Amino acid sequence: MAKKLTVKDRERCIGCYCCMFACTRVWYGALGIEKSAMRVKNYPGVEGAFSVRVCQACKQPECAAACPTGALRLAKRGFGVELVRELCTHCRKCVRACAANALQWDEQLQIPIACRHCGICVRYCPTNVLTMQEVV
Amino acid sequence: MYRMLSIDLSSGKIEERDISDIFKKFIGGSGVLTYLAAQELTKELDPFSERAPIYFALGPLNGYFPSMSKTVALFKSPLTGDLGESHAGGRMSLAMLSANVHVLRIVGKASQPVYLSIDGDRVAMIPCSSLWGRSALATERILREKEDHRKGKKSIVRIGPAGERLSPIACVTVDSSRHFGRLGLGAVMGSKNLKAIVISGSECPKIENKKAYQELYDRIFKELIESENTYKYRDLGTAANVVPLSKIMGLPTRNFSQGFFESAHTISGEYFADHLLAQQISCAHCPIGCIHMGVFRELFADPHMYKTLKTSYDHELIYSLGSNLSIAKAEELLKIIHFVERQGWDAISIGVVLAWATEAFQRGLITLEETAGLALNFGDAETYLKVLENIAIERNEFYKDLEKGVAYCAKKYGGEEFAICFNKNEAPGYMTGPDAFVGYAVGVRHSHLDCAGYSFDQKYLGRAEDVEKEVKAMYEEAVWRMITNSLVMCLFARGVYTPKTVLECLNVVGYNLDEQSLDRVAHTIHGMKYIIKEKLGFDFAKLNLPKKLLTVYTSRGKMNEDSFKKRVEFYSKLVEEDKELALRAV
Repeated sequence: MAKKLTVKDRERCIGCYCCMFACTRVWYGALGIEKSAMRVKNYPGVEGAFSVRVCQACKQPECAAACPTGALRLAKRGFGVELVRELCTHCRKCVRACAANALQWDEQLQIPIACRHCGICVRYCPTNVLTMQEVV
Repeated sequence: MYRMLSIDLSSGKIEERDISDIFKKFIGGSGVLTYLAAQELTKELDPFSERAPIYFALGPLNGYFPSMSKTVALFKSPLTGDLGESHAGGRMSLAMLSANVHVLRIVGKASQPVYLSIDGDRVAMIPCSSLWGRSALATERILREKEDHRKGKKSIVRIGPAGERLSPIACVTVDSSRHFGRLGLGAVMGSKNLKAIVISGSECPKIENKKAYQELYDRIFKELIESENTYKYRDLGTAANVVPLSKIMGLPTRNFSQGFFESAHTISGEYFADHLLAQQISCAHCPIGCIHMGVFRELFADPHMYKTLKTSYDHELIYSLGSNLSIAKAEELLKIIHFVERQGWDAISIGVVLAWATEAFQRGLITLEETAGLALNFGDAETYLKVLENIAIERNEFYKDLEKGVAYCAKKYGGEEFAICFNKNEAPGYMTGPDAFVGYAVGVRHSHLDCAGYSFDQKYLGRAEDVEKEVKAMYEEAVWRMITNSLVMCLFARGVYTPKTVLECLNVVGYNLDEQSLDRVAHTIHGMKYIIKEKLGFDFAKLNLPKKLLTVYTSRGKMNEDSFKKRVEFYSKLVEEDKELALRAV
């Protein structure tokens, strides 16, 4: 069975962002973190605490259901989503529909960033915050 | 293209400039800024005037490779009147890269307190009188919340009240517990009415040469994760030095009276890790995770009302506010560090000032009249907290003077012989011997980071001195660090980024350099810095050891003034060639 990206142990996160750099680098050939499909977020007032947000790998994705054109749809593997870029009208309804606030938005291209659940971010995490888990 | 964004806080004018040619010539970071600022930094320039510039810069590998995670600042130091250079981690270099700003230049003075907001192409000066007076920590919390709507990763760079009061030992704090610590950048920001800079963007520069780059990246990443050289920085962190240094009489104790601290084991890296370490955190794009956050729970009302302080610690803070003040309890030390962090002083400088004040009090140079009734004793954490509070509320002239630095205080109140500073910059935490002290004296920043003299002392422990060989080795290290500082890499990764690897990295991002050309750039930058320094009043011939250091035992025994002079003279001769090279190059 295919595997999905999950957060195994959030509290181990040191906030180095190597995961987001890896996603941006490997899938988009770019530097930085802004193209990453997952996010590590630090929030005000809590020194050193990080929120790690990854795609929930839903089997009935609410983001896809909200897409008016069918551009964002259930991925062929049966969980999570994929984007048919030509159909996207840049309306952002998908991002707003994800209750977990886990679907990211590409500011430059104005399209959602669908997580491929490829596990590249897992490989670059120095403290094993992330893992790939069997989808059941 | 490498881009400089120049902002005049007086007129509001914003300019952009393509500085790719300067990056090509001087690599980036420290090298590029030294070239850019060379004409602006004059002896007459008042560091607090509107014309005084603040520069921040990235290097060409920031964003590309792990642990290339720092940002460098260049300015005229209000503490020394000399060249000011300081480096900080955090998320600033990622944020600058995302905003497509490789060099940020700030001049002028805002008519009221402002913070500078840079969000991609949108630049604004936002009035913030209500933030003025707030601690460095509160300012970050407020701005992070206020600017939370932004898309990109934000970096929040700000001063505490010390910078607002123009204390020349004020630092600039970046994100979580990282600092442009040394030489008073905080006061320069304060003089411009600039409380903070919030910077972000959503640029993601494209990678050329993807395959070669990814292979190199993976090799370096693996080494950073697996190498013993870097693991020590994550494990106990720099605090691992405390006990070993004390064992070799190299840990400054009670204002550099001795190098052995009898309570080193209770403020050691091991003690902190076992009892107070909450977690390690990291700068953006650095897998090392060297930032050690200590947490301390304190009962403030009976029976069970607790408060919790969370603050970062490192070797330098443990020395300056710990052993050098004879503070033996790690919990008390964390409280002092936390206070310093909130006010925004450079932790080394304020610790050296407190140590001087204690000795001056004990020798009768200052009295209860000056201290407003406080008797200063080494080891008395409670009183030191009151002293810091008195400085913060500007209780009287003496307390106002304390935050002007140890050289200023000693000149006014006496005790220059035990004011432990080099070129007016308070000394860092190693009294390992001549190489450490000579390094502080001759270095471009008067820092232990200029050439790591302390490590050469440790190599020569128990061996006969070899003045020329030691000085040459220090000089070569200092010259190589012109490159690391121009890449703006974290020095904790220096074991992985050997000259060979650095060349591979530079060439994969489009430079065309070999060992010789890289070496020539390093010497040229080194020479440029001393040309500026000498223009600003620095003079090798006038360098002296604080008298007290001639009477104390270091790791390598007693210092000898002749040996110090000889070493300085030899170093200055080596620098001559670099200055000539620099004159030819610019």
